Amino acid sequence: MNLKWKRFGENSLFLSPSIILTAVLGVYPLIWMLRYMFYDYVGYGEPLFIGLENFRRVMRDGLFWESVGNTFIYAGGKLVITLPISLLLAVILNGKLRGGNLLRGIYFMPTIISTAVISVVFYTIFNSYNGMVNTALMKLNLVSQPVDWLGTKYAMFTLILVAVWGAVGNYMLLFLAGLQGIPQDLYESASIDGANAGRKFWNITLPMLAPVAQLVIMLAIIASLKGYESIMLITEGGPIGKTEVMYLYLYKLLFPVATGMPVEQQLGYGSAVGFVTAVIVGAITGLYFLLSRKMNKMY
Amino acid sequence: MQKKWLGLGMSLILATVIAGCSGNDSNGNGASATNGPSEGTKATPTAEANKPPVTLKYWTDDRHDQEYINEMINKFNETNEDNIKVELTVMSENYAQSVDIAFSSNQAPDVLRLKGANTPVFFKKGYLEPIDGFLTDDIKAKFDKVILDGVNRFDDKVYSLANNGQTLRLVYNKDLFAKAGIENPPASLQEMVDAAKKITEAGKSEGVYGFALNFKNPKSAFDRSIREILSLSGHQGLGFDLKTGQFDFAPYSQVIEYFKQMYADGSILPGAESLDIDPLRAQFAAGKIGMYLSFSTEPGVYKDQFPTEINWGGALAPTIDGQIKGKSEIVSAGTWLGISAQSANKEAAWTFMQYMYGDEILKSYHEKGFGIAVVPAIVEQAANPDINGMEGFLVGEHDSIWPVAPTVTPEGANYADAFFKYVLAGGDLQAITTDLNARYNDALSKAVEKGEVSVTPNPAFDPTKPQG
Repeated sequence: MNLKWKRFGENSLFLSPSIILTAVLGVYPLIWMLRYMFYDYVGYGEPLFIGLENFRRVMRDGLFWESVGNTFIYAGGKLVITLPISLLLAVILNGKLRGGNLLRGIYFMPTIISTAVISVVFYTIFNSYNGMVNTALMKLNLVSQPVDWLGTKYAMFTLILVAVWGAVGNYMLLFLAGLQGIPQDLYESASIDGANAGRKFWNITLPMLAPVAQLVIMLAIIASLKGYESIMLITEGGPIGKTEVMYLYLYKLLFPVATGMPVEQQLGYGSAVGFVTAVIVGAITGLYFLLSRKMNKMY
Repeated sequence: MQKKWLGLGMSLILATVIAGCSGNDSNGNGASATNGPSEGTKATPTAEANKPPVTLKYWTDDRHDQEYINEMINKFNETNEDNIKVELTVMSENYAQSVDIAFSSNQAPDVLRLKGANTPVFFKKGYLEPIDGFLTDDIKAKFDKVILDGVNRFDDKVYSLANNGQTLRLVYNKDLFAKAGIENPPASLQEMVDAAKKITEAGKSEGVYGFALNFKNPKSAFDRSIREILSLSGHQGLGFDLKTGQFDFAPYSQVIEYFKQMYADGSILPGAESLDIDPLRAQFAAGKIGMYLSFSTEPGVYKDQFPTEINWGGALAPTIDGQIKGKSEIVSAGTWLGISAQSANKEAAWTFMQYMYGDEILKSYHEKGFGIAVVPAIVEQAANPDINGMEGFLVGEHDSIWPVAPTVTPEGANYADAFFKYVLAGGDLQAITTDLNARYNDALSKAVEKGEVSVTPNPAFDPTKPQG
């Protein structure tokens, strides 16, 4: 009995820092948010209870639903390009490649560089008036006048490229970890049976990687739906809302950018938008888990 | 055993490092980026003997005048006879959030930099202490003309006093105008559209375009351009009709048509949709932009931040039809310093404020080009700043402070985003204007109902005499 209590005390002691931090920085604000979403509250004065009005406003808020649509385009584009490239790089680097470790480091580097730095660099590369891409294209006579990479037509495409560049190395590393867990005997047996590289990839690598891939894809989906930092820094959601994603929209409600005139925080409405946004992300993740449950039982 | 000692040793070193890094603040706050009084700064021995020492915290988000303000504070710390020491903290874009956090955790500064944009909000949040009790007859007389409701006076109580303001002008490259065969800066919007087109035609092969604005944030772009075009044309610049006390974006929509035309003509710098103000200035300084509109901070910017060889100047903004029917609005005027309602040293804070509002400091502030003086007594005695381009921004017969327009947050897109969408993507301008009027007036009536703003229509309002 004494040993049991001692163990319990030790465990509690070790867990207490993270429990306290989660409670203070995670649960406590969440409770406030859950309360404020039923109130009209701008950060000062007495919050006014308005029942479900904030949710009715979310339903009729065209800008929010546009941002939801943009989020799907952004997240979809990022995932469709990032995941195959990450997997391909992981498979290549999993082989006996000269300089493989160096390449792993290089591909992973964008993950550890600050988003602010990445955003400034990509703005310098893609801006229309003196960006490197346009300068190169014009010198090669491929275009006659600057392409507006951050304009209404191409801004989302450009931002997806930035996101892909930043994410490929990260998912590559996770896939690589999964690949290294596949027993080599399987490949050796397949080789004896005369299987070529394509067949081995299709019949061994992919099925054996499925449980890891399920987790990697889920992490990628959540990160893509929540990503907004580079968008905020490069286009601020513009032009005319073409790159406004839902977390950026939410951020602007809670931390408005005041230029020239005061803009009030919309804590009540922002809380409701935050709740709906979390439900959307949760629903998509849940749906993915439902649809991908077979991946966990592939071998 | 060895490991145990090693661990203990490391813990001690860590503790020492943490303690060393935490600094020593007389108020118990480890504030960073604080420019306290210079070393060796001491009040006079008599003062120290007579009065207990008081340390005041002064927070600002002004960076352009940091060196000068610091110098003035050091002088105050050395010379005041009340044993007061002021510590200056200069913040950046996170100023409003930092102030919020400071007030909610009872660590508020004693003196705050107040601007047109944050004063009404700080007042509503209860951060500010009225200063009426401190105002002597002399001070009242000096600032009388610039005590304004909704700017520095709320509910009949004064919370700040004026120092300087910003004028807004058309900033233009004289060489590019000359190259395109244009003699004068445009007086009407049609002339502006034509000039932008001519400059683009003459310089496009070299990457030169007629016009640009920082459209990455349409509100920032329009509030430094259309606001001024409208006030000179006889309309309030943010879409509010002072005569009816209602929002009416019809005049705004007139101006927008000309901006749309410049886009259609290809006269606007490519990529302006994602342009911030500083990259825009860098391009202007490089001689790639014919004209834009902005604040009187620009001469200082081209002196220090983006030194340029180009021949440029500031001129009055164009008006809708070329006729001046109103005064050009001086913005961010009427406020400078304020005292925190939470301050335990309000008397001392006022002593410092009184020092800062002295004639000498206000005069040099103007003469050094940190801002344009709006206090009549200072305007009379101060010399013009000796900064290239500043002559175009000085307060003249066409400039005035306007009554404040109510600030409301409507549902949906703000006016700048809605109109910029029209500029880029087209649509039904009449419908956009009607929708904006409906949403802004709805938000206004709700704000009035909640007691957040008060509106008094002034049918006799005359835009040529906005102060009556």
